[in-house]
Amino acid sequence: MSCHLPKADSKLKNDSPKNTINIALAGNPNVGKSVIFNQLTGLSQTIGNWPGKTVEKMEGHLTFLEYHFNIVDLPGIYSLSTYTIEEIVSREYIVSENVDIIINVIDATNLERNLFFTFQLLELKVPMIIAINQMDILRKRNIDLDFEKLRALFKLPVLPVVAVHGIGVHHLLEKAIEIVRQIKTRYRFPDLSPITSFGKEVETKVDFLFQKVEEVISRNKGIQYPARFLAIKLLERDEEIIKYLEINSEFKEIIKDANKYCDQLEEYHGEDIATIISSEIYGNITTIVEKVVKTRSKDEKKKFSIADKLDHFTTHSLFGYVILVLVLFGIYLFTFTIGDFLGGFINDSFSVWTEQVYSIFNENNILINIFWDGALGGFFGALAGVLVYVIPFFFIIEILQDSGYLPRAAFLMDRIMHSVGVHGKTVITMILGLGCNVPACMGCRIMETEREKKISIALTSLVPCAAAMTVVMGLVGRYLGFGWVIILFAINFSVILLVGKILNKLMSGSCTELIMEMHEYRVPNYNVIFKQTWLRSKGFIFKALPIIIGLGILLELLLIFNLLEPINAILSPITVFWLGLPAVTGLFLIYGILRKELTLVLLSLFASNVGLTILELLTPVQMIVFSLVTMLYVPCFATIIIIAKIQAGNTLYK
Amino acid sequence: MVNNIKKIKQNLQNSNTLIKCLTDCETGESVIVLNVGAGMHQKMRLANLGVFPGAVIKKKNHAPFRGPIEIIVKGTSLVIGRGLALKITVQCDRSCAN
Repeated sequence: MSCHLPKADSKLKNDSPKNTINIALAGNPNVGKSVIFNQLTGLSQTIGNWPGKTVEKMEGHLTFLEYHFNIVDLPGIYSLSTYTIEEIVSREYIVSENVDIIINVIDATNLERNLFFTFQLLELKVPMIIAINQMDILRKRNIDLDFEKLRALFKLPVLPVVAVHGIGVHHLLEKAIEIVRQIKTRYRFPDLSPITSFGKEVETKVDFLFQKVEEVISRNKGIQYPARFLAIKLLERDEEIIKYLEINSEFKEIIKDANKYCDQLEEYHGEDIATIISSEIYGNITTIVEKVVKTRSKDEKKKFSIADKLDHFTTHSLFGYVILVLVLFGIYLFTFTIGDFLGGFINDSFSVWTEQVYSIFNENNILINIFWDGALGGFFGALAGVLVYVIPFFFIIEILQDSGYLPRAAFLMDRIMHSVGVHGKTVITMILGLGCNVPACMGCRIMETEREKKISIALTSLVPCAAAMTVVMGLVGRYLGFGWVIILFAINFSVILLVGKILNKLMSGSCTELIMEMHEYRVPNYNVIFKQTWLRSKGFIFKALPIIIGLGILLELLLIFNLLEPINAILSPITVFWLGLPAVTGLFLIYGILRKELTLVLLSLFASNVGLTILELLTPVQMIVFSLVTMLYVPCFATIIIIAKIQAGNTLYK
Repeated sequence: MVNNIKKIKQNLQNSNTLIKCLTDCETGESVIVLNVGAGMHQKMRLANLGVFPGAVIKKKNHAPFRGPIEIIVKGTSLVIGRGLALKITVQCDRSCAN
């Protein structure tokens, strides 16, 4: 593959193997960034948080041609402005010294919108490789790209990639090595003014600011952004950049100038500055696209593909909702069937082992009680009660996410969600909540404002998860019939609506309107799905499991020191007097905080211990009350932990 | 009188040169954006995604019960909440009708 960048020195070939190259993958959402990331890093990935931010950080490693690569998959964003935290995190990270090279992943089928982000990245003047993905789909549409011309225009490596088949992915690394070798000797970011210059009025103002900014920067060390980027952002009145520069008194004058210019431009164009700059950039992009896109034959109108038909039905004003209900039911059925099977198996094995252990040791051996019933009980409980639901659930959600269904659900439900003060995207997290509240609440981070994040978390944590469903099905469904299950559901969702309405009233501010891309349906990439499922499950195991085990020990200690009886007594005004339940259920409900389905498990255990059936123990009304309380009284412990972590914006495990 | 106004409105809606709200567009209609009357942040986001005065967009779909609008801009489909779509004024684009 030819490239006009000078070839690397061959004598550098015997570099020490400890060379590390730090790469950041950047691009729009849904361009196949994570597919490339997976192809490159395999299972050596970690999922964590950006320090102090509630944004996910995906990191992976690999060794290639004696180089060690540190690859960070930046969140998918559309621009380097300040619209979302992801954007701020990304641009701060790119200019930090942690990044040697950016690989900008572009969706070939969506060139213009993707290039908008590329143009913003170019202003950061970090060594960059442009990877144009989905070239196979583009060629199928009889469209070709002139890569020679692209390279000539961008003066950067531009490589075709078909990420799903792994084609071209390793070329990216070869190019990265080539660039890194040059950085040590003679790399300079190319002068791209021929393609990035704005129209005359804007450009003169940017240039004027640029000169001034550069002058100040040359006297001050520690400003990581390039002068032209700062000049443009100052002109755009970017709050973060202004805050960043304001500290230095030398910039005060420049910021004032920038404001003046901005006003002038806005008056001259009659538009606001964001519009002016965006349309300038899109103008430049159109020029490039016209030069490089070659349509081979302009034949027939595009035929309706299966994806288009699917899109038509899933957003249809009648079938769309039918499909939505079926999908929701499907998620639940899938998670429940697999989870129940595996969970039952694990529980059975554990109880067999428990019997064996107690046949060896004395039943009153405190250490064994703490270790076996507490720690291991908690561990197996988490395994059988939570993990077996969480993993299949992550799996099916990844499929829905990768195929592109979830935004359609948001599209259909947007109107309804507005009545509770959030926009359609909350539906996505609520769907996640059907399987397990833990990943669902994590998902609430996608919301744009703090207000929506809070309402979304509140609503999502009230969605009955697979575990709560076990109780409802096992108790009410089994003894009272499916009709009552539906009624309980209806009650639960009315509560969600009510809570939403109340929060909407209580919290100041209004609902943000939805702005969401709806990408075409595609066949999910199984490689990505399996790896993502594993990665997320791994994250859950390391985050929630230690806490659950700790709690198991705590509960066991309470039990040993007879502290549960007093708690039952304290709770009995609520359980007996208000809810009309037997006093003993107080204990079950406490365990239910740990794992919701424990309420039912313990209830049936208790029933068999005292020689009664559940029907003799609880009246039908009590059953309904008990199920309803289990559904709604408090989110499970793992969910509480996650919510606390999201709210605190803590650094999680790396 | 009322009938007349209704008629005029109907005529206007059928007319091809009309300036109207994005929400009033027919499905499949191509229009030029005239003005985005949203707040600063949303305006910026829309501009970054290619929805700014002068851009050609096409209405693809809308959700029932006065739900959000789906448009095609620069070849991508974008969903815009109705409240926001109401603030986008467009002009019918004769040159690229369908």
